[in-house]
Amino acid sequence: MMNRRSFLTHSCSLGIASATVTSSLLSLGLARTAAAQSAPGYRALVCILLAGGNDSYNMLVPTDNDQFGEYRAIRSDLALEQGSLLALPGTASNGRNYGLHPGMPELQSLFASGDAAMIANVGTLLEAYDAQAVADGTARLPLGLFSHADQINQWQTAVPDARIAQGWGGRVADIMQDINVANGVSMNISLSGSNVFQSGNQVGEYSIESTGDGAPGINSYDDGTEYGTFKKRMVDELLAVEQTHIFRREYARRLRGAIDAQAVFVDALQTSPTLTTTFSPGYFSQALRQIARVIGARSALGASRQTFFVTVGGWDHHDDVLDNQANMLPAISQGLSEFRDALVELDVFNDVTTFTTSDFGRTLTSNGKGSDHGWGGHHIVMGGAVNGAQIYGDYPIITPSSQLDVGRGVYAPTTSVDEYFAELALWFGVSVSELDQVLPNVRSFYSPESAQPPIGFLST
Amino acid sequence: MDAPNTFRRARLMAGICATMLLLTACGGGGGGGGSSPPQPLPEPEPPTAAELAEASRFAAKATFGLPYSGIDAMARQGRASWLNRQFSLPVNLHSDIVTDLVQRRDAGEFVDYEEDIEFLILFRRLAWWHRTVTASDELRQRVAFALSQIFVVSDNVDALIINPYAMSGYYDMLLNNAFGNYRDLLRAVSLHPSMGIYLSHVNNRRSDPDNNIFPDENYAREVMQLFSIGLFELNINGTWQLDTNGDPIPTYSNTEIREFAKIFTGLSFGGPGASFGNQFPNFLAPMQMFDSEHEPGPKYLLNGTVVPGGQTGMQDIEAAIDNLFEHPNVGPFIGKQLIQRLVTSNPSPAYVERVARAFNGDATGVRGDMEAVIRAVLLDPEATAAPDAFGTFGKLREPVVRYAAILRQFGATSDDGFIANTGYFLQELGKQHPLSAPSVFNFFLPAHSPAGEIADAGLVAPEFQITTSNSVVGLSNLIDFIVVANFVTDAPDPFAPVSLSFDDYIDISTNVDDLIDRLDIVLTAGQLDAATRASIRGVLLDIPEAEIRVRIALYLFLISPDYAVRL
Repeated sequence: MMNRRSFLTHSCSLGIASATVTSSLLSLGLARTAAAQSAPGYRALVCILLAGGNDSYNMLVPTDNDQFGEYRAIRSDLALEQGSLLALPGTASNGRNYGLHPGMPELQSLFASGDAAMIANVGTLLEAYDAQAVADGTARLPLGLFSHADQINQWQTAVPDARIAQGWGGRVADIMQDINVANGVSMNISLSGSNVFQSGNQVGEYSIESTGDGAPGINSYDDGTEYGTFKKRMVDELLAVEQTHIFRREYARRLRGAIDAQAVFVDALQTSPTLTTTFSPGYFSQALRQIARVIGARSALGASRQTFFVTVGGWDHHDDVLDNQANMLPAISQGLSEFRDALVELDVFNDVTTFTTSDFGRTLTSNGKGSDHGWGGHHIVMGGAVNGAQIYGDYPIITPSSQLDVGRGVYAPTTSVDEYFAELALWFGVSVSELDQVLPNVRSFYSPESAQPPIGFLST
Repeated sequence: MDAPNTFRRARLMAGICATMLLLTACGGGGGGGGSSPPQPLPEPEPPTAAELAEASRFAAKATFGLPYSGIDAMARQGRASWLNRQFSLPVNLHSDIVTDLVQRRDAGEFVDYEEDIEFLILFRRLAWWHRTVTASDELRQRVAFALSQIFVVSDNVDALIINPYAMSGYYDMLLNNAFGNYRDLLRAVSLHPSMGIYLSHVNNRRSDPDNNIFPDENYAREVMQLFSIGLFELNINGTWQLDTNGDPIPTYSNTEIREFAKIFTGLSFGGPGASFGNQFPNFLAPMQMFDSEHEPGPKYLLNGTVVPGGQTGMQDIEAAIDNLFEHPNVGPFIGKQLIQRLVTSNPSPAYVERVARAFNGDATGVRGDMEAVIRAVLLDPEATAAPDAFGTFGKLREPVVRYAAILRQFGATSDDGFIANTGYFLQELGKQHPLSAPSVFNFFLPAHSPAGEIADAGLVAPEFQITTSNSVVGLSNLIDFIVVANFVTDAPDPFAPVSLSFDDYIDISTNVDDLIDRLDIVLTAGQLDAATRASIRGVLLDIPEAEIRVRIALYLFLISPDYAVRL
């Protein structure tokens, strides 16, 4: 019986996170951890989505005088100062020199020390870009080029000729989920809620916050008090009802699943080592800190493979691109550097590969305030397995007569998202025979049976 | 966003603890002195339970929720009469509330409380909640919220969070146009300074090819993709037209986007002393055209329409608005989204077609009449057919609507009558707040189809996109705070705390079945599953104290899948 006294006691404890008692699910999880540990090693992919379309032709910029001159001419009022660019050692495949945006000194260091690499001019493609075929109208082009909704989707699905809801990270998890302990916490963990990348046919994301222990439990539920026991009973009974309506069923499944998984997740997170690496207070750094904590709890979570997803929004810089990037790129650079330090501290830097994605690159020409939607763009990969200090892919030679320029300074991609993701998927453990399932269009660019890697930026 | 975030946590958690201490000290919460006038029953026959349930179900579509007394009144009045009255009511503007708050601030009322936060950024939120909970133009307020999720602007942009009129003024524009003509609505959206900032067509200049500078394409794209015609040619029933290969047919290409981008050049902030390039927004006036910065020359729009060179900028804009307005896609494109926002996630093509025909003015000859569209959406036979607990009709309620409904249905009051809520707590736990979407694509996409059973059935369920393992628990806890812990809203001092009144429910709570019956009418429109009822009933029988019994009953109803999804 619930009386006023225990009710009030409950009310006073509301909102204060309570340690959950070990649930039967957790016991199961721990029991099966041993089995998971015998699986080959641990690996994680961390997908960073710069939502809105990062103007990456101002993130990785030509530094040779002639190419910088072309860059300055086409970028007009959006051009960075040549002297401000942070030089990268070595040359790209075209023999040219490039530098980073002045707000990214940490990334410059990561690159120089071999912990990071750049992939130039990546984008959505159905077939290798052919200027003549585009001019003739015979080229097969991605659906909804230049449109946020389509391009942000295709960068997650790797299926540019259809509008589907399943991402390649979800398809990977559909195939590989059994390698982890089945405890309700998905292989795919999101710091940014629902997303396409991590949605498969069977596997969805487990959504956590960057603050606290990441996952809220139902207030007072099973917290050891009389009210907590009563709370558990009433919620459990409510969610035990077999629902007849398809949406009600889904809602019940999500709430029940979230309650159960949270108990496992929060208890597991307590096993994560306390990091000495400090993270900046901003959103991105704090999200990466939480990811590092989860990786530190991989054993208690029974996870041999994990993907993480974090969205950093606000890159649609039709306006004030220079000021906005000067404010936003440093947070990316710092966050990556802090994350690297934390992963080294956890001794998993070789096992975690971090990569950026974005809707598209942007027009190299200006709209007088910013830049508009483009196509190919440059990306960052980081990890101990990355063959760093290199610019992979083909950075286009910028010239008014470029065959890659499809208008308004929109450069067509020279490397497909399929090649980019194939390299990541194979490293993660997707087998050659499963690659077609994960990346249905990969054979337009790469033969999975090839002895060569798709791009070569990861050592297996 | 960092400063408000920090504020949020610190102040809100402090608020929770303070409220709970109060609750303990008082030996109980609630009541709060709110007087609920007795319901006179002049009519000879009160509505039957079935009639009440039907009215409740309709109210859940057409309003942010009605209390039992309102449901009873609607059942007596009838839907058609209720709708007619709603269409005739004057608008309750949000910026009026903002102006009151600004005046109170200017008078120094908040000066002792502004250490942590700039109160100005709260005002448009406070206005939204107070109006939404209390305004009598309930239909208009609900429709404006639906429109705000189609014509999206958001305060996640610095320039739009700082000025309280940026969002409230935009919302007022939606309220003013909600029952008018879609063409006027699209025009007002296109010229609103908040949209000019959000999609960057304010201070958008004519081409300067010598310097590789071309018009901004942002608004040109989204006005077509999101606000009018969508990506593909539609049949009148909302399904895609297909080409001979069976592929959908794009409505426009990048070529048309660049032509529309030329149209939307030359606009800057309006009002007294306006000049092109001015960076200081005037949110109380539409944007103003400066022809010297407007792209000269002809523009090639949709369906072969050519705007001749030499026109004024506003003539160009009027022509472009006409070009979009006359496109056959608008009826099914906008109509289907209004159905999804107000009624059901998966309307049949026939339902979409009936709404599209209302938009097209087949019966009246008036194209774009929003009142006709809203009537068609709400009164369609598919919408008013008997609910089916085994079917696919219905939708997941949004967090914003769930919160507003609690405040409206259970007598939210405060000492000064102002319903003060910032909504930050909701945004943090439930991942949604009016005019705070993460992007122009809103909180969820109309075509979001959750993997699993729902996708396998070929259905969409947009609201599930923000229903994650995190938010589904967070929202349940928010409901717990509101109805059980009596932490009803999150506004900081010196705003008066808001309380709910459960007196009517306490009065009938001695009989658990009476209590459940009443809540079933008010919350689940008579659609509470028998097994859910049995589960709640068993719990309530173990709670002898009336007020606690009522609060727990409410909590269980409000977190139940039966309530979360309305049929």
